[in-house]
Amino acid sequence: MNIQDIALWQLALAYLLLALPLGVILWYKIPILGRTTLALVRMTVQLVFVGLYLQVIFERNNVWLNLGWLIVMVTVADVSVARSCELRLARIALPLFAALLLGTAAPMLIFTGLILRCDNLMDAQYAIPIGGMILGNCLRADIVGIRTFYNSIRTSEKLYHNALAQGALLHEAVRPFITEACQAAMAPAVATMATIGLVSLPGMMTGVILGGADPMTAIKYQIAIMIAIFSGTAVTVALGIRMTMRSAFDHYGVLKGSVFRDGGN
Amino acid sequence: MAGSDDIALRAENLSLAFEGKTLLEGFSLDVPVGRKVLMTGPSGCGKSTILKCFLGLATAPTGSVAVAGRLLTATTVWSLRRQIAYVTQEPDLGTGTVRQVVDRPFHYRANVHLRDNLGQLRELMDLFSLGGELLDKNVSKLSGGEKQRIALIVAILLDRPILLLDEPTSALDVRTRKTLGEYLHSRTDLTVLVVAHDTDTFTFADNIVQIQGHGAGGSA
Repeated sequence: MNIQDIALWQLALAYLLLALPLGVILWYKIPILGRTTLALVRMTVQLVFVGLYLQVIFERNNVWLNLGWLIVMVTVADVSVARSCELRLARIALPLFAALLLGTAAPMLIFTGLILRCDNLMDAQYAIPIGGMILGNCLRADIVGIRTFYNSIRTSEKLYHNALAQGALLHEAVRPFITEACQAAMAPAVATMATIGLVSLPGMMTGVILGGADPMTAIKYQIAIMIAIFSGTAVTVALGIRMTMRSAFDHYGVLKGSVFRDGGN
Repeated sequence: MAGSDDIALRAENLSLAFEGKTLLEGFSLDVPVGRKVLMTGPSGCGKSTILKCFLGLATAPTGSVAVAGRLLTATTVWSLRRQIAYVTQEPDLGTGTVRQVVDRPFHYRANVHLRDNLGQLRELMDLFSLGGELLDKNVSKLSGGEKQRIALIVAILLDRPILLLDEPTSALDVRTRKTLGEYLHSRTDLTVLVVAHDTDTFTFADNIVQIQGHGAGGSA
């Protein structure tokens, strides 16, 4: 069974649905009309562009092209995390890129290689959507985790300095802050796992069902992807913090103000 | 002048600046082993930053500091911090119960061998008029004075030869100030550098360094 295509005029009908949120925005004079319009235009343009590009990727199904796509996604996520955390891109871009790439690639390759037993680990049909889902969730978790980590140390500077003054090594002094950051980052994934299927039908499962698969097959994919996402989240947050620390702290263990976009003020 | 082995703390030609404004220029200080030195001066003149410089928590654009005869550098700082106990102004004890806060630094690799010192905890709590029931209280419920005394007790339990105190009596009552003064006076083995406006508690100080900004200093 193949999925039913949506004609362009049918897709245009979907935009009619926007009348509902537009009504709410106008009625309550919510000051987000400009941002919403921009977001809608961006969503449309970005997805059309990605759709065209993915068509090429799926037609060619070339390992290097697929790998290139993954690297592009990781780069965009890297910049997005640094910006959202209000950190200086130049200071953390490289280590964060490595953490995101490693944290996304490891569960993705385990998924395609070990679970699905694909001959080609980078098969576009599996690697692109699975990698994208893992990375998308890692992105959200990393923003929460990395921002919590650096902001906590900045706002609790006295507590952190006290730990150093008491003889703690750098890894000992930052440990409670890493714990707090990882907890904040992983809590949404844990909550999602606990309520999945009850509160919402997850994206991958919906996609597999729409693709014509048996609901039980969809469930198995969903369970595997949830575990892969959770693994990726844990790895990218922990690695992201540890790897960016090298350039964020000086040799005395003091957090550099220059890592923040506002210079630490 | 004492030899470098006899000097517990040495600052040489330090300059401090904050937001482009010079706070201190050419500041030098020698604190010999076992001496008690009181540092006073107007607020914002850089006294607390000088203490932080001895711990490598702040760096001066010019000048150098030495602890226990060794120059403080990015390499030596980690071992030199083990020579110093530090009580900051209005200490932030973090989260958890008093027992957990007191216990925490003894999990650091540098302090694991000092765990037996925790045996003196009740005695010190008695000395500083803190009841034993406080141990199971959450630190967020403590008063400023209680937090300050807990921070002082932890510093004493760490058994360092050098004690840096930043306004340690700001939240203490007269009786506890007197107790602290007597305790520090009795510890002839301890080198103490204290920043305080309250000079009455530290009448036993061997030397008082008055910081005016722009280059005060001295040796005790």
